[in-house]
Amino acid sequence: MLLLAWLVIYPIVIVGAEAAHPTALRDFLTRPGEWAALWASVWISLVSVILAAAIGIPLAFLFEWFDFPGRKTLGALIALPVVLPPLVGVIAFLFLYGESGFVARAIQALLHLQNAPWRLQGAAAILLVHAYSMYVYFYLFTRAGLAKLDVSMLEAAQALGADRRATLWRVIVPLLRPSLVGAAMLTFMTALGSFSAPYIFGGGFRVMTTQIVATKLNGDLPLAMVETVALALVAVAGLVILRRTEGDDILVALGKGIAPRPRPIQRAGVRRLATIAGWALAVLLLLPHLTLILVSLVPYGAWTTEILPPVINLDNYRRLFSEPERLRPMWNSLWMASVSTAVAVALALAGGWLVVRRRVALRRAIEALLALPWALPGTVFAIALAITFSVDAPLQLRFVLVGTAVILPLAYLVRALPLTGRGILAAYRQLDPSLEEAAASLGAGRWRTLTRVTLPQLRPGLAAGASLAFVAGLGDIVASIVLYTYETRPVSIEILSSLRLAETGVAAAFGVVLMLVSAVVLGVGARR
Amino acid sequence: MSGFLQIQAIEKRWRDGVTVGPVSLDIAQGEILALLGPSGSGKTTMLRLLAGFETADGGRVAVAGEDVTAVPPAQRRFGMVFQHYALFPHLDVGENVGFGLPNSPDKGAKIAAALALVDLAGYEKRKVHELSGGQQQRVALARALAPEPRVLLLDEPLSNLDPALRERTRHELREVIKRVGITTLFVTHEQEEAFDLGDRIAVINQGRLEQVGAPDELYEHPVNLFVATFVGRANVFRGKAARALGGGANGNGVLVVRPERLRFAGAGLPGVVRERRYIGAAAFFVVEDDEHERFEVLAEPDAAKLGERVYVEATRVIAL
Repeated sequence: MLLLAWLVIYPIVIVGAEAAHPTALRDFLTRPGEWAALWASVWISLVSVILAAAIGIPLAFLFEWFDFPGRKTLGALIALPVVLPPLVGVIAFLFLYGESGFVARAIQALLHLQNAPWRLQGAAAILLVHAYSMYVYFYLFTRAGLAKLDVSMLEAAQALGADRRATLWRVIVPLLRPSLVGAAMLTFMTALGSFSAPYIFGGGFRVMTTQIVATKLNGDLPLAMVETVALALVAVAGLVILRRTEGDDILVALGKGIAPRPRPIQRAGVRRLATIAGWALAVLLLLPHLTLILVSLVPYGAWTTEILPPVINLDNYRRLFSEPERLRPMWNSLWMASVSTAVAVALALAGGWLVVRRRVALRRAIEALLALPWALPGTVFAIALAITFSVDAPLQLRFVLVGTAVILPLAYLVRALPLTGRGILAAYRQLDPSLEEAAASLGAGRWRTLTRVTLPQLRPGLAAGASLAFVAGLGDIVASIVLYTYETRPVSIEILSSLRLAETGVAAAFGVVLMLVSAVVLGVGARR
Repeated sequence: MSGFLQIQAIEKRWRDGVTVGPVSLDIAQGEILALLGPSGSGKTTMLRLLAGFETADGGRVAVAGEDVTAVPPAQRRFGMVFQHYALFPHLDVGENVGFGLPNSPDKGAKIAAALALVDLAGYEKRKVHELSGGQQQRVALARALAPEPRVLLLDEPLSNLDPALRERTRHELREVIKRVGITTLFVTHEQEEAFDLGDRIAVINQGRLEQVGAPDELYEHPVNLFVATFVGRANVFRGKAARALGGGANGNGVLVVRPERLRFAGAGLPGVVRERRYIGAAAFFVVEDDEHERFEVLAEPDAAKLGERVYVEATRVIAL
């Protein structure tokens, strides 16, 4: 409990206190660039929500309600953007749609153009990446909501004389509202905290996250703190507004009925169309992954102006795994993500036990502590930790951790807490207390009850939370770019420096490795 | 009398002022005692106090002379069957039944014996969710009995089964318990279930023990109006009607008469037949007396007609 407070609340308080710095405040208020960045963050996030909803919700309805050839396979493929860590997704887009990417090259060759037909830059590029990676939230949330719908409620509406449209608007949408608001919140927060896309594609277009890091790298710490607080305030305001539209989620829990069964599409033409559209979509979704793999197979300097690469081999992977200097970031990322995940799981277990088993007065506080890092953009916490742990003042519980190997796992830990916390708290709530009583009445002591009954019951939630936390740590860039040292540099930082050296193959190879590890870990975590 | 299981003035005080107990009960070795009461009467709390899941605010529980009031559930050696069975979903049937058994070479044989007892021999490898409700109930019973507990506790053991299955399961349950010979307490809100399954019945209302006794004792000699009306069908007569049926001499003038102890006659309490409910072998006649009080008479299906003016006499009354 105290540990949680020290990690989560304390750094924020410090930043808040030190941000009250008159010159920095004046700087922030008077520079037009600051306001522009803040506004850009807000509108980019809102448009991302709209785009993601526009793609994700219809897809969810299509896959949940209609049956057509390949529905199952496609339904699984469609969640694929999840296995791309943000930075890896962004570089895949760069290789695919960037000015020297495949698509641009192909069009250039086709039309015999002198220059690339476009430059992938600015707000449009950021939105494209956001829409691609974030529609998944709407898709998954809406499908989950639809699966919980009780078919008898739809039938009741029809029996009461409601036609299809009335059923949709008066029954389905209100029942789905909690799911939709949840997806919107998640998308909004992710977009607001998104760093990789604006960092790579932004160019002169700054959003608040990139602005903060730029200010910090310029050494203007007080201003960076003011910016951090501003971003945090926007995030909280956004959450509060969305929360208000959420309503009661008791609504959904009423019926325990059967979800509607997917209806086969009857007309052959429509069915063929749906199938073709589905597969085209799958290819579109898979292109970034495939591109990444292809680019990773092209050795350094071998590919200049051709549409397709002339040479393909495993050179980049060989370099990756033979050169200790390149292997290093891999190990760094792996151990830091593992340690932070393990600690986050332990803390979430303890917190969950306190919240559910002991009816302590602090339970709301613990829940809030576990959830808070989720509500604030990663940059906010990165800056907060950087500030808090760069001062040696043991009496204030502040130590110099920046520059040591401890700070990055600590930062990952803070980011991992909401992920493990939510999974484990939900699992604890579903736990039937009479199971533990049954174990006790059969003579099992506390330890045996915990290991043989409680933990196995919590396992699905625990595994899901832990795998998400691990993948988040593995692909993290927001905290890393603020806090890394050369010794502890993670993969994401190495990818950036490879890109800067134009070693696209190596960067892509790192990306593929991250993608594969993430996919395996998420796959294991999702297994029942 | 000193029973095998002694409950002495046990009591639980909830925070909102609701109190269960003090209740004292003596249960003989091998006896089946039913705790019967309406919902919210505190019967489940009683069971949980005995199991050790709730700590008593007063009184003590002893088994074979050993005070177990402060013994935690895990060491109490009381087997329990939960209302929703609480089978471990991640373990198979055999692992569920073997959960309370120590690791020993004959563990497998003990599991098999427990399953054979409930007529589920060979079900070890089945998944819990593949079983029907009745099978789950029997697995729960086998699991509770396998470690050879001193006392068996059952919380509404049949409430999760559909009515057709309930009666058969009731008889099987009683047979298994009697074969094992274990001292048993079970909670129910159904009078029929309590009568069928219990050797004795303890009627509980609003946290207090109203009466303990064998089924016919409760039915024929209830100590108060609650027991009289909760256990079986009962007509309550007061004042003039009570005197007309021959009561009123002793007690406070309240007379309880079972419907089958009333019959149509040439004289007695006058009334008009308002309803007739045919149940096959007999019929319930709802009669309204001159004070517009209604009561039920169980008689031959053609004993009276709707709207007929009748006289009713009692063959046996309970004066309270």
